Amino acid sequence: MANSNLPRRIIKETQRLLSEPAPGISASPSEENMRYFNVMILGPTQSPYEGGVFKLELFLPEEYPMAPPKVRFLTKIYHPNIDKLGRICLDILKDKWSPALQIRTVLLSIQALLSAPNPDDPLSDNVAKHWKANETEAVETAKEWTRLYATGA
Amino acid sequence: MEISRPETPEPQILLAEEISTVRSVLGSGYTDIDIIRALNASGNNPNRAINALLDSPKPAVCTQPVRSNAAMSSFGSSKEDLDFNLDKLISDAKIKVQEEKSDLGSQQNHDLPNVKRETSMSSGKVDSARPLPDETFEEYMERRNNADKKEGKAREDSNDSLQNLTTSNPLPYLNPRPIRAIKPPDCVVSDRRLQVLPNLNEPELGNFPEEHDWFLVGKTCVAGLSTCRGNKLLDAGEVVHFAFPSSDRDFGGVRVRPKTAAAMSAIVRFSTKRSGEIGKLPPEWTRCLVPLVNSSKVKVRGSCVYSTVNLSLMQEVLLYMSFYIHSSIFTECNKDASNLTPSLVDSTVNPLATLFNMLKIKPTKGAEFTPEDLNSRKRSIHLRDDMYDLEQPSQRAGSSKKQKAGEGESYTDLDKDEQAISEASLNKLVGTADHYNLAEAQPPSTLLCELKPYQKQALYWMSGLEQGVTVEKTSKTLHPCWSAYKFIDQRAPTVYVNVFSGETTTQFPSATQKTRGGILADAMGLGKTVMTIALVLSNPRGENLEFCDSDSDDSGTYIKGGTLIVCPMALLGQWKDEIEAHAKPGSLSVFIHYGGDRTTDPRILTHHHVVLTTYGVLTSAYKPGSEQNSIFHKVNWYRVVLDEAHTIKSSKTKVAQAAFALSSHCRWCLTGTPLQNNLEDLYSLLCFLHVKPWCNWDWWTKLIQRPYENGDERGLNLVRAILRPLMLRRTKETRDKEGRPILVLPPVNMRVVECEPSEAERDFYQALFRRSQVKFDQFVAQGKVLHNYASILELLLRLRQCCNHPFLVMSRTSTQESTDLDKLARRFLNSSQTNSSNGPTPAYVEEVVENLRQGVVTECPICLESTSDDPVLTPCAHRLCRECLLASWQGLSGGPCPICRHVLNKSDLITCPIESRFQVDVENQWKESCKVAKLIRCLEEVLRKGEKSIVFSQWTGFMDLLEIPLKRKNIGFLRFDGKLLQKQRERVLKEFSESKDKLVLLMSLKAGGVGLNLTAASNVFLMDPWWNPAVEEQAIMRIHRIGQKQQVQVRRFIVKDTVEERMQQVQAKKQRMISGALTDDEVRTTRMEELKMLFR
Repeated sequence: MANSNLPRRIIKETQRLLSEPAPGISASPSEENMRYFNVMILGPTQSPYEGGVFKLELFLPEEYPMAPPKVRFLTKIYHPNIDKLGRICLDILKDKWSPALQIRTVLLSIQALLSAPNPDDPLSDNVAKHWKANETEAVETAKEWTRLYATGA
Repeated sequence: MEISRPETPEPQILLAEEISTVRSVLGSGYTDIDIIRALNASGNNPNRAINALLDSPKPAVCTQPVRSNAAMSSFGSSKEDLDFNLDKLISDAKIKVQEEKSDLGSQQNHDLPNVKRETSMSSGKVDSARPLPDETFEEYMERRNNADKKEGKAREDSNDSLQNLTTSNPLPYLNPRPIRAIKPPDCVVSDRRLQVLPNLNEPELGNFPEEHDWFLVGKTCVAGLSTCRGNKLLDAGEVVHFAFPSSDRDFGGVRVRPKTAAAMSAIVRFSTKRSGEIGKLPPEWTRCLVPLVNSSKVKVRGSCVYSTVNLSLMQEVLLYMSFYIHSSIFTECNKDASNLTPSLVDSTVNPLATLFNMLKIKPTKGAEFTPEDLNSRKRSIHLRDDMYDLEQPSQRAGSSKKQKAGEGESYTDLDKDEQAISEASLNKLVGTADHYNLAEAQPPSTLLCELKPYQKQALYWMSGLEQGVTVEKTSKTLHPCWSAYKFIDQRAPTVYVNVFSGETTTQFPSATQKTRGGILADAMGLGKTVMTIALVLSNPRGENLEFCDSDSDDSGTYIKGGTLIVCPMALLGQWKDEIEAHAKPGSLSVFIHYGGDRTTDPRILTHHHVVLTTYGVLTSAYKPGSEQNSIFHKVNWYRVVLDEAHTIKSSKTKVAQAAFALSSHCRWCLTGTPLQNNLEDLYSLLCFLHVKPWCNWDWWTKLIQRPYENGDERGLNLVRAILRPLMLRRTKETRDKEGRPILVLPPVNMRVVECEPSEAERDFYQALFRRSQVKFDQFVAQGKVLHNYASILELLLRLRQCCNHPFLVMSRTSTQESTDLDKLARRFLNSSQTNSSNGPTPAYVEEVVENLRQGVVTECPICLESTSDDPVLTPCAHRLCRECLLASWQGLSGGPCPICRHVLNKSDLITCPIESRFQVDVENQWKESCKVAKLIRCLEEVLRKGEKSIVFSQWTGFMDLLEIPLKRKNIGFLRFDGKLLQKQRERVLKEFSESKDKLVLLMSLKAGGVGLNLTAASNVFLMDPWWNPAVEEQAIMRIHRIGQKQQVQVRRFIVKDTVEERMQQVQAKKQRMISGALTDDEVRTTRMEELKMLFR
């Protein structure tokens, strides 16, 4: 139902995501709804999330690509720009969205966000405070959470 | 005294049902008297009576008159025959009563004084069949019932009284057994002893009387379900009482959710007097009966069919039910369907019609469409829910008022993006009849031009509709939304039920009532304007008719006017010209209400026969809310004509509202496209025409719009049926009664010109074909044909172009293009120098330009397609489809670059030079291809005769090439393609039709927009076959249309043994696919076959 009339752009993007996946990222569409993607992002090396496998969900709204995809972490993660519901604070997912961006670029940006947390623009106040007050300790918590929630899944 | 006294019929009649039941078991061996006696002895219970009769010896003497016996023996034994027999019996009895009255009158007279004494003093059961003089009828009946019951107890006395019963009191039939379904009033029996006696265990039996105000609709057996258990709860024939849930929405002050309320109201229980509740009615009957009974328009009586010895839960209890309808339903129904509240609109399953249906009363004449047709989904009536809906219309009205005030106009284009309805589906929708059997009207003498037969038919049709009664026939035709029903009760008149609204009436609803006017939807070019002028001339102001009724209650505030014609501004002049040309001078006075200096005096308008104005003027004059302000709305027009009526297709727009508010006797819509984008367009036209009830939005959405959107064909069927009487639509293909086309155009001569390629051309083509074939085979081998559809089409494109001229395929870059690119590069470099911080680096720009020059294909970052029709370059040197870029912006004039977020202005965009044209210097190395040579030869031949020609090609590149030989041969030509601006297009077309030396028009079909009239030419050359034959058809239609006086020669050029030949085969074979009749899967497989065929 939702799959009929899938814009060619989405089909093309999906084909390319499957045929040439970006390193450390996998995204595959759900069988029932080609606009819904199951995403896995490997924690970037030299980040507190290294070794973790993070599950996300990504949904392309009707207006896509004129509106940004909706992305959310499913795996619990300790990150100043990601809240406990998995919502991500990333400008390109909001006001800085451009139709020239794609699923791939969005996921790469999220991967980059894991490498470079930005506590000055927090979504999760507590985590951000923690991060600013005692970064080492916060990083340790992030590692701990990664070990707890993002491995062996 | 005798006459005023209430009268009682014979026991045979009273007990007819029981008697027949007994007979059905025992046969006709027993006389009526025996049976009646037995029945009386057993409390009118046939089962007990049968037992009693079997116990007693069969009597030898027949005391009954033969006449009566004959009547009784006609009783059938089956239940079904019973009603009939009862009726027959009743009529028999009436006759008999008349005769016997005279014989027995005297005896009754002197019996009477004793009655009262006997009843009050003694056992109270002496001749209980006789009424007391001062007793009311009901009291009497009650007393009689009780007396009957007592008779079972006092058997020894019964013989005397029985004798009286059978021989005396043969009274006329009136209310023979008024045992009402309501509880009898208490304490009617004056005798104290009697009150002890009524045995509550006795079943209440009886049939039901005919009542003055209640017409019997029908009787049927209904299987109820028991809700309790017990012994001997029911006897055959025992009366059951129904308890209907109240229509009160208030459940003890608690506001109940509609659903719950509906559930609570969804049970109809029935009970007997002695046993209390027995069971409930099945849901389908409940659904249908609750609203009916609650409306107090219908009442129900019932009795039990079989006696039940042991009732268990959920057991089926067969009830014999009679349904009565109150006579008021036939009189209180003058309200208009459109006044119906949405609550009724929502009850698509209309209870009364359902009742008729369940009673298996067939309409004597059924409605052509029914809600059941539309709504096969299961749905129940929730009258309560609907009451909440009542609040909505007011809200809607409020919001629409807001729209009117503020942004009315902005709604106009909301639907533009929606898929347009194609001509084919329009025809399917509105159904162009093959021919119309319409008479021809004699055009008025003041009309100067000769009308064609089909135009006379239109005149006949239109004048008919204006008179309100179209033709005698249609007035006798039942309105398609109404069903006619006849009741069992002969007193009741035929009832017509509107199957949608539930409205009932006894007045015949004819097919066209209120609407005067309609939609003249003839296809373009059939002369709608002339037909309308003829109509206006035949009756300029409606003076032949008295038109003072309907639309305005206070016609005093209106001034009577003539005909108002509203048209788009561009057609104002045309209307004026046509009226002047076709109407005899002096027969019509025309007033044009347009321009800056407009009068505000409506009387000036009414002095003229015809007032012409535009939609714009009408709209600006209209002040919503206070419509009296507008000069147009102050006049009560005789006739309002909307030309190009699809202008009001959006009903919410101010222009549509202004048109709706016009007061007029007749209303006409002229449009070649009654539907432009979607079905809703039609709604607006129906609103203007005041077609009830479809001009009510709730009705429309409920029964048409929503079914249509859900893909339910029946929505369309309904539309078709609504339009049938209202719309006249003919096309050029329409044929008259004899099967001749209504519009005869000079014939078309189609010819395929086969071109024999030269040796060199053939070699070139073969080389290209082999290369393409190899690629295609690769795709096939990889199973990726459909993934590479675009690439394959590209291969085919090259092959097809090669057929036209090999130059078209030879690679690109012309001097012209490179100068364009250089200019482009310079512009970038300049701008980046002036604004170096933001602009792209020179290196980047150079790269971009170089890529363009080399024809490197880049894909648009938004749609990811590489084959853009209209690529643009941004000042920041990014290349996108223009469409994608504009869509990505919020505003219209500019926005950020999607790639670098550099803010762009629409005017800054640079149109990319699309594919550069020819690599070879075509001018100097010119060589004709076989096709070009053939074309030139044909053209020269035609030109000698002085005829004009149009040359169609798909590729402007080929047109570029054609220019070379035309110039060299000094053949004057014009060119019409997508590069022309609107003004230039008009100039080219005008020049072509007037020119004496430029007789050839090179035309790209894609550019040839709507409404081109190229009848000046009579020769068509189709240089290359299209994939879609319909497009070719369209091209030919531009020349072959009304106004064409010469024979049209069409020549299609095909190069032998090439892909073009095979495309012809594909075209013929795949017509179905093109018409969209195949499913996606089928298309895929056909495409595959088709492609294989092309590369064979």
